[in-house]
Amino acid sequence: MTTKTITVQRDVKAELRRQAEELRQHLGRQGTLVINVLSSPGAGKTSLLQATAEHWAGRHRMAVLVGDLETDRDAQRLAPHCPVEQLTTGGACHLEIPLVKQGLEKLSTADIDFLFIENVGNLVCPASHDLAEHVRVVLLSVTEGDDKPGKYPKMFRTSQALVISKTDLLPHVPFSVDAAIDDAHQIQPDLTVLPICSLSKDGIAQWCQFLEGQRHELLARTVIGESMVTT
Amino acid sequence: MHEMSLVRSLLRQVEDLLIEHGGESVSAIHVEMGPLSGVDRVLIELAFEQLVVTTFCADARLVIDEIPLSARCRDCQTEFNLEDFRFVCPQCDSQQVQITGGDEFRLLEVEIETADRCRASQEEKPCCEARA
Ligand SMILES: Nc1nc2c(ncn2[C@@H]2O[C@H](COP(=O)(O)OP(=O)(O)OP(=O)(O)O)[C@@H](O)[C@H]2O)c(=O)[nH]1
Ligand SMILES: [Mg+2]
Ligand SMILES: [Zn+2]
Repeated sequence: MTTKTITVQRDVKAELRRQAEELRQHLGRQGTLVINVLSSPGAGKTSLLQATAEHWAGRHRMAVLVGDLETDRDAQRLAPHCPVEQLTTGGACHLEIPLVKQGLEKLSTADIDFLFIENVGNLVCPASHDLAEHVRVVLLSVTEGDDKPGKYPKMFRTSQALVISKTDLLPHVPFSVDAAIDDAHQIQPDLTVLPICSLSKDGIAQWCQFLEGQRHELLARTVIGESMVTT
Repeated sequence: MHEMSLVRSLLRQVEDLLIEHGGESVSAIHVEMGPLSGVDRVLIELAFEQLVVTTFCADARLVIDEIPLSARCRDCQTEFNLEDFRFVCPQCDSQQVQITGGDEFRLLEVEIETADRCRASQEEKPCCEARA
């Protein structure tokens, strides 16, 4: 027997990342902005998407791919508002690009302006997986504590926007919005911060404006469709 | 925990390399990880232990190289290692820094065993040089 060393030197997810890049470019060229929405369980992702659909009703077309471990409860909540397809991970704690592609076979996106992917509630694993998004958004609800950015650096480093959710609860919890923003900006100085409350709709207009701006930028650089996910 | 899915993918890639290079078995798999790789060393080792026995690489050792988080300043080009996750250039205080290492889970190299081609020779020493 002879030992032979094969030099590889590549990210274990290189092939998945290539697929994500291809899909991102394809969706970008047709004018669909893809938004990967991440947070810990229950931070308010589905509620935000419901409020977003209501805000845009009749003005922009949006669709949602929603990842869930087992149930289709979030898909049921969103179905009255916009086209939605459920991605059941069968217990896996994060979404991967092949599942997103499967979902897109059932969801027609040709005339969709904004495609949201609601990831599985988890601040760790989803941070490592490119789902072909143009914009990655992390939600942090005020009940989770303002020290979270530093504890989950990868998630905050790889996001373009931080949504601080459930701001109506601020009077009841020891959460400093400034401290959370400061902590997050040490990790990712380019993060856009958007405080929102999905119940009162406070901040929803600014959130929607941010996404409209992102889509304008996408349309302006259409053919390039370059990755915006930087680490 | 997504380490299972990553190790499964890693082993599939190693199996493909083994077939592609016509090897008999895999003796070692070298990987690299850093503070922002998004993987946990212990979970990777556990997943590897569980999954490797189900593959063609059952005898393979996993060799993990842990590297620091490194970055380059976009303003003054200084290269430095980050001790924590405060992305600030130590030279010019710029926050425009680009990560250059320690944020991926990488497959570095694979050591495979190949059968000696020159069986006619009775010598123990292989007569065919291994090509990298
Ligand atoms: N007070 C308050 N509660 C909210 C707000 N947004 C959502 N909630 C509540 O928070 C809970 C979780 O909200 P969801 O929208 O289901 O959160 P999620 O992130 O989609 O949850 P998972 O998909 O299970 O991870 C629900 O009981 C919501 O009613 C808000 O702005 N203020
Ligand atoms: Mg939800
Ligand atoms: Zn510098």
